[in-house]
Amino acid sequence: MKSLKYLFITALAVFTFTSCMNDHDEPDSDIPAYGNNLIGIPNMSITEFKTKYKQAMSSTAPTTITDNVIIKGVVVCNDETGNIYKQIVINDGGDAMLISVNDVGLYSQLPRGQMVAIDCQGLAVGAYGKLPQLGLPYTNKYGEIAIGRMNKQAFQSHIKLLGTPNPYYSELVPEDLTAEFLSNDANKDLLPRYVRLKGVSFQEADGTTMYAPEEEVQNSAVERTVKVGNTKIIFRLSSYADFAYEILPQGTFDIVGVLTRYNSDWQFMLSSTSDITPAE
Amino acid sequence: MKRFFKYTALFLVCLAWCSNAQAITDKNDPIQVVFRFVKGNDMFYVPLKENAENLDNLCKVLKENAAENGSVSVDGYSDTKALSKIRCNRVKSELILRAGVTENTFTTTNNTGEFNGMKDVVVITVTVPEETNEVIAAAPAATEKKVEATAATEPTKMQEHVVGQLVQLPPAGNVTTIVPEFTGIGGVDKDQFTFTESMLDEDEDVIQGASAMTTSSDDYFLSEVGYRWSSMRFKVRGYDSQYNSVYANGALLNDAERGTFSYGMIGGLNDATRNQESSIYLENSNFGYSTVGGASNINMRASQYAAGHKMSFVACNRNYLARLMYTYSTGLMDNGWAFTMSASYRWANEGVIEGTFYNSLGYYFSAQKVINDKHSISIATWGSPTERGQQGAATEEAYWLANDHYYNPNWGYQNGEKRNARVVTSYEPTALFTWDYKINRETKLTTSAAFKYGIYGTTALGWNGNAADPRPNYYKNLPSSAYNVWDLNYYNAEINPENAIYQEDNRAEWWRLYNHWTSSKANRQLNWDYMYLANRQANAVGGECLYYVEERHNDQMMLSIGSVLDHEFNKNNRANIGVNINTTKGMHYKKMDDLLGAHKYTDIDKFSVGDHGASSYIVQNDLDNPNRLIREGDKFGYDYNIYVNKVNLFAQYQYDKNNIHFYAGANIDGTTIQREGNMRNGRAAWIDANGVMHDISKGKSDVARFLGGGAKASLLWNINGNNKVMIGGGYSHRAPLAYNSFIAPRIREDFVNGLETEKVWNGEISYAVKYGPVAAKVSGFYTRVQDAVQQSAFYNDSEGKFTYLTMTGVEKSYFGGEFALVYNVTSALSFNILASISEAQYTKNTNGTSMTEDQQELKYKNSTVYMDGARVGGSPLTALSFGVDYNTNGWYLSANLNYYDRIYVSPSLYARLESTVTGEGGVDINGNTVKNLPSQFRGDGGFLLDASIGKSIRLKGGKQLNINLSLNNILNNKKMVTGGYEQNRGDYNEDNEQKIYKFSKNPFLYYANSFNAYLNIGLRF
Repeated sequence: MKSLKYLFITALAVFTFTSCMNDHDEPDSDIPAYGNNLIGIPNMSITEFKTKYKQAMSSTAPTTITDNVIIKGVVVCNDETGNIYKQIVINDGGDAMLISVNDVGLYSQLPRGQMVAIDCQGLAVGAYGKLPQLGLPYTNKYGEIAIGRMNKQAFQSHIKLLGTPNPYYSELVPEDLTAEFLSNDANKDLLPRYVRLKGVSFQEADGTTMYAPEEEVQNSAVERTVKVGNTKIIFRLSSYADFAYEILPQGTFDIVGVLTRYNSDWQFMLSSTSDITPAE
Repeated sequence: MKRFFKYTALFLVCLAWCSNAQAITDKNDPIQVVFRFVKGNDMFYVPLKENAENLDNLCKVLKENAAENGSVSVDGYSDTKALSKIRCNRVKSELILRAGVTENTFTTTNNTGEFNGMKDVVVITVTVPEETNEVIAAAPAATEKKVEATAATEPTKMQEHVVGQLVQLPPAGNVTTIVPEFTGIGGVDKDQFTFTESMLDEDEDVIQGASAMTTSSDDYFLSEVGYRWSSMRFKVRGYDSQYNSVYANGALLNDAERGTFSYGMIGGLNDATRNQESSIYLENSNFGYSTVGGASNINMRASQYAAGHKMSFVACNRNYLARLMYTYSTGLMDNGWAFTMSASYRWANEGVIEGTFYNSLGYYFSAQKVINDKHSISIATWGSPTERGQQGAATEEAYWLANDHYYNPNWGYQNGEKRNARVVTSYEPTALFTWDYKINRETKLTTSAAFKYGIYGTTALGWNGNAADPRPNYYKNLPSSAYNVWDLNYYNAEINPENAIYQEDNRAEWWRLYNHWTSSKANRQLNWDYMYLANRQANAVGGECLYYVEERHNDQMMLSIGSVLDHEFNKNNRANIGVNINTTKGMHYKKMDDLLGAHKYTDIDKFSVGDHGASSYIVQNDLDNPNRLIREGDKFGYDYNIYVNKVNLFAQYQYDKNNIHFYAGANIDGTTIQREGNMRNGRAAWIDANGVMHDISKGKSDVARFLGGGAKASLLWNINGNNKVMIGGGYSHRAPLAYNSFIAPRIREDFVNGLETEKVWNGEISYAVKYGPVAAKVSGFYTRVQDAVQQSAFYNDSEGKFTYLTMTGVEKSYFGGEFALVYNVTSALSFNILASISEAQYTKNTNGTSMTEDQQELKYKNSTVYMDGARVGGSPLTALSFGVDYNTNGWYLSANLNYYDRIYVSPSLYARLESTVTGEGGVDINGNTVKNLPSQFRGDGGFLLDASIGKSIRLKGGKQLNINLSLNNILNNKKMVTGGYEQNRGDYNEDNEQKIYKFSKNPFLYYANSFNAYLNIGLRF
């Protein structure tokens, strides 16, 4: 029948187009859609970097790096649980560097075990509470120029992902923190450092106290204390962390994270509660 | 000779001296520049007087010379030293950023008083070394970005026409990297939990042609406005589309849960659904019972189509680009059989809106057997499987940055190709069975049953864990979130000194975000490659999927039965009685559509994790399958059914005698609504004192029952054949929609507290006149809706929790006038005027009950929602049209000029909530709280011009070719807002501090399409 013929023509026209329009190929995985692939080969270790800019890193006024400095490290601390905010720490086996970035969800591109290269030229270093960090200058609430978080675009143009994340990098092995190290105040100048606290316990753990409930927040964080030898190390925990409302565990633990300072206090950056393991 | 040499020597010496003098002058004279400031204001306005020029020159000088420390003097002269200091800092900042000098270059003094008789100035003095001449003459280094060239002028007016306010943009400058206050450890941005879009249906997406498609040939106004004003999404009288009923052969097809008719069901089936009859509320209809919005009945009997073939091809630039349609009907054949079939396909690989696509097949088949002159049986089946990429709304700022009112934030690049995150896949196949029984010449019984199984899914992007919001137009990616462009005093050092310090940083950040948005299209759209990478990184460390695409389903199984017995007593009296029965099962769930390369997704609620911990039962969506790993195609998140049963009995009576026509109708209806949960949700569960877990999530809820009904009557007085007056009114109770009856149906079975039937009052008066070649009709109406229910869900900033808000006792008024006039100048030429001027607004402050999602015990928090005066959004309340129709020799020409105004966007309930209104208003001098009632955004009025030209050509053998070209928006007016919605977020955060980004000033908007054409070529044979 003629009508069938016309119906067929229409149907044919239809089927040539109805192959699902919403099928998409996965992107090529060769070139990462993140960071700047044109960054060159790292030319300095973090220790050398800290030595070269020692004075700049101890000053609250930021100093812009004008030399061709490219450092590399493995991400050891990030914002995956929401405890850390707008920061990451990279470790190259010898030393660690704190990087401040005005962006959230950094862990999605920079999980623990991702090796990165940072092109420091154009970025700035300075100290906040005497702790050195890599960022860019900003005006603080006192109207002073201080070291602050670098903006997203600056970060994207100064970071390069090297390979895929690898949980077996040697840079992911922390050094054990000793009481001797903590007893020497001069060691505060070596911070930040990627360490493991051995056999410590939370002073506030009593079976009901939580990690960081909102009611206990003071100055944007809840402070919990751990002692190594005679030295107090302060954990500043965020009430926005995924584990904020979990109970502080009682007992002794090994905790992996980054040792930092705020002026004369030893402090600790904890990425996730999976870094807290029962002491051996 | 001697004299010659003497004078030459003298001349040469003079020459040398002159040039030296020049050099000496330059070397010794320092460059001094005076920058002026506005009295009382510390902001450095570059465009003020000669500031721009001076700044440029100064920068040139400083750039070309290595200035020694302290060689540049900066002297401020102001009323106070403090103001002087800030002004000096402003100028120094500009110089540091533009000329690359450092703070050490300057020697600053902060003075009070005047400089050379000038007040409010900052004086810069630069001591310049020798080689300056040549350097100044050299071309300036092209270091400034292109944007600065335009920006160092008047601050441009952004959004001025939209909110009637001038917005102060920050001045240009080299952008350095600057960042808001360093807060130290912790503080995940709760702001990134823009739950509203991620978790809920965005009902505000463009509704496909929801205007009442009444094609009553009696009423010129109603038969014209549906199509003529469709580009502005005009809704007759501003009524919600739930008040308009659509029947097919007497079976009601409106969705029982939402009350609306889904036009997607008959998408593309124009020919198949062309036979329609309609009636208004106050008019008798022999197919069903209409509510205030009127009713239409599609005749789907196979014998009612013109016999023969019809083929048509359409090319256009709308949401689809091409359409092919074929219809064939045998007509009623001698053996009593009739068959009709129609197929149509609409296609666009990319529609007129970027990133959208259209892939829709429509089919229709019907058969009818006229058994004898009493009985006839018909069956029809149709469906329109469709897949289309949607357009999304954006704020005016985003449109301004994209320089395009049709910017679509829903799509992005994946591997260089465009991919839309919001794809609708719908297919609602329906089967209709009809039995026509002509009992005798006066009595007719029509019975139909329609069965539908509809699948309707919409995809949406989701992000998991603490992953960042990937949307390009997330408010933190917009410049106005970095610099306060709304409050001219925000950075004023005298009024707000604590903000003034941040002005420079904020300004630079504004420019960075602006440059990022404007420099590349990819920056304004989603970045799929980035999301795939994040998931690959997560796979490498055994982590959870970070970005995914979910498909939210609203499927439905429906059986609708309609039966009408119509009897003509005599030529004066006619009556009918009928019944509509509907049973519907709505199935609501979401499926994982695309894991974007990730390997692991655990079904828990990420928002509760932070408050309760990942191991708490509260975070589980399905306690019977805790921590279930979801694969593509799996249901997850929520899964519930809604059962609705409706029975409506009605009777209508019509009386005609002499020149009186009287009509009365009444109905009584019953509705039951019930929810059945298929997942035990942790947020609706609790453990009692004995350790036993209870939940109100899984299983069947109570049954809500509603009894409704009403009556209506109208009287038409035909004065003398050329003048008719009609007056009528009605009152009815309507059951609430199942869609609005539950507080948080995805999680729990609770009904809204105080649910009752809605009351609708309606009154209408009209006058129609025919005088020679002129026919006109004017009508006035008043409709009042009371005790309606309305819901909204949003992230409540002041409490930091996701909140469901239900308003009961909602009262709305719709009133106004309609006018239509046709003037038939000759049989070929006619003019027409259409007008609709009305009001549609909320008339009472309502009671709102809010509930946060993690409340396990149902504690109602009542508060007032200040809705009084807010307009119903989404339709122009003023619409005027002047049209011309001309036909000659088979040609048809028509043009109409339309004016639209008073288009409001849907009001935000959150912005009118008591806590928001009093919280943001503050306290007045007497200590009374000030109410900060928001004004509702309204689009500007404007003109749209349409025209069409068509020709009918009779071909040999009884064939007919019809060609029609329709041109819409010939004036290419791109500024007509068609609708949108205000944002349901506050301008103040949990600590009651003002945010820089103003949600209240940034409604999401849709604009009417720019110039578009529609060419239709049809062949009948």
